[in-house]
Amino acid sequence: MSEQNETAATPKNWDATLAFWLLRGWLGLRAVMTGLEKYAAMGKVMKPWVDPKTGQVDAGGAMVEATQKVYGLGNYAAIPQSMQDKFAAEPLLPAFMLKIFYAVLGPALIILGLMLWLGIGTRVSLFLQGLLYIGLTAGLIMIKADDGVAWLAIHVVLIAYALTLAKYNQFAVLKKW
Amino acid sequence: MASELDFSRRGFLTTAMAAGAGLALQSARAETAPAAAPATTPPSNRIRYALIGCGEEGNVLLDALLRIEGIEIVAICDIWKYARDRVQKGLKKNNNIEVNAYEDFEELLAKEKDLQAAIVASPDFWHAPHSNTCLKHGLHVYCEKMMSNTMDGARSMVKAMKETGKLLQIGHQRRSNPRYRFVLNYLLHDLKLFGRLTAANAQWNRAVTPDRGAAKAISMKPDLLAKYGYEDMYKFRNWRWFKKYGGGPLSDLGAHQIDIFNWFFDVMPVSVTASGGVDYYKEHEWFDNAMCIYEYKLTSPDNQPYTARAFYQVQTTTSAGGGYFEYFMGDQGSIKLSENPSITQLFREANAPDWAEFIQKNYVMLKKSPAAAEADVKVDVRESKVLETYALPVTFNKAIHQPHLENFFDAIRGKAKLNCPADEAFRSESVIHKASEAIAARKTLEITPADYEA
Repeated sequence: MSEQNETAATPKNWDATLAFWLLRGWLGLRAVMTGLEKYAAMGKVMKPWVDPKTGQVDAGGAMVEATQKVYGLGNYAAIPQSMQDKFAAEPLLPAFMLKIFYAVLGPALIILGLMLWLGIGTRVSLFLQGLLYIGLTAGLIMIKADDGVAWLAIHVVLIAYALTLAKYNQFAVLKKW
Repeated sequence: MASELDFSRRGFLTTAMAAGAGLALQSARAETAPAAAPATTPPSNRIRYALIGCGEEGNVLLDALLRIEGIEIVAICDIWKYARDRVQKGLKKNNNIEVNAYEDFEELLAKEKDLQAAIVASPDFWHAPHSNTCLKHGLHVYCEKMMSNTMDGARSMVKAMKETGKLLQIGHQRRSNPRYRFVLNYLLHDLKLFGRLTAANAQWNRAVTPDRGAAKAISMKPDLLAKYGYEDMYKFRNWRWFKKYGGGPLSDLGAHQIDIFNWFFDVMPVSVTASGGVDYYKEHEWFDNAMCIYEYKLTSPDNQPYTARAFYQVQTTTSAGGGYFEYFMGDQGSIKLSENPSITQLFREANAPDWAEFIQKNYVMLKKSPAAAEADVKVDVRESKVLETYALPVTFNKAIHQPHLENFFDAIRGKAKLNCPADEAFRSESVIHKASEAIAARKTLEITPADYEA
């Protein structure tokens, strides 16, 4: 069906549109922020030591190392090392597949989230997000992280529901796909 | 300059990453890298100084000096052409700084008319002649420790400082180290965190080091060596081991740490018992190992007089025992303090009040709880409990000598008081000389105010 035909065939339903926008916002946010956090690390920064009694900076030049969250390409970690170790011990998860998955996960989440927000290939974005979450679910099932499985299942349900409402989407850069 | 390159690279990386990702990206390394010293002070306001002594210590000091803003090196002096040329050419090549180089420090003083300060890093027996002459020429002087290899030499320096009214800072650089000052001012004085200090222990152990040599092509001629008091090139290169030139390992290494005993206890010791000998390097005059015990008469937090002992050892044949540190032990806790932050640790006694409040106020950081420590290794806990281990949160991102040099230049500008003026350093140096006397005498020696009043 062409884009024009689809638009013409779908009756205006602002309730559904608003519902889709909420899902679009939440799922996009979830993907982008999750992807960005994979580039975050706790780094050390130097700050003057402050005397708690006087509230003044130490005159002797004492500095304290404070931990501060910093973002950088070099900090990228697809999933925590402890979880990577568990996946590496699973015979059904070959190392080469894990390597590809880890390399793709962070950038893919950011790109797919931005696509959803901007309305570029909305359905493709939602579907690929769903596949990513299914992939993660497979790993979590193997390491028996049942709470994580349930948590991802909620994401997949939301994505599936968003797909059913996608036809009511408005204000998209590229409505096709 | 390397530092300028680093500064530029840091700025570029930060800008590029932020622009590319739209995020305030920054690396932890960039935040902790030492800042370069931009030459923003107008030439007329800069303090012009000369470096006397271009050997190992001179180079260490120069590295720190070049990071300090508002000062300008204009001349260097060393009797050895090889060392002199290396520094002069290095300054030109790496820092684009032209300096005049002299063999004779008196010629330097005669020709360099607008100097304000001198940094003396020559061998110990030249400290007094160099410092005293500079002071009498109207210069402020930063002189490496020991002040002198003789008490008379050290005393003359205090006298020259007082007579000329010029500043004479002695290079006990821990006195300006923000970490040491933090421990003294806040943990010991304000919080009395360790309770009653009952003992101290310090050491500096170094592995076997071969004697220094010099190729014939760069060696000095005998008449030049004799002119400046050296018997031969071997003794020039290894002056620290000979009594005519230096004070031995207790002076070279122990001076820093025994000074910390006196500074932290805030009194002078009343006696010293010591032993040591020339047991490994047979060609040396000074002992290659020494152990000393100083007795201090202290006052407890509840104003009761008591005695505490401080043990010091220096070994030049082994790096065993954890390197170099000063360890202050109290009935509530203790601190193993070192210029090397990775060696520094604090311990809370099992029966001492909780330190949670001090963690929260950033005085200390919990490193390892007793439970975690006990899990590491099984010990017979009937003898002593495994203690909570803490770290010192305080650090600084400068060269190790830089704060002490900065204090010296700030004092010249009238912005600070010297952290280690010669009369204060003399007190510590006198009891270090006393330990050498005790080793020679093989007995306990009493220390009286007459020993340490200049």
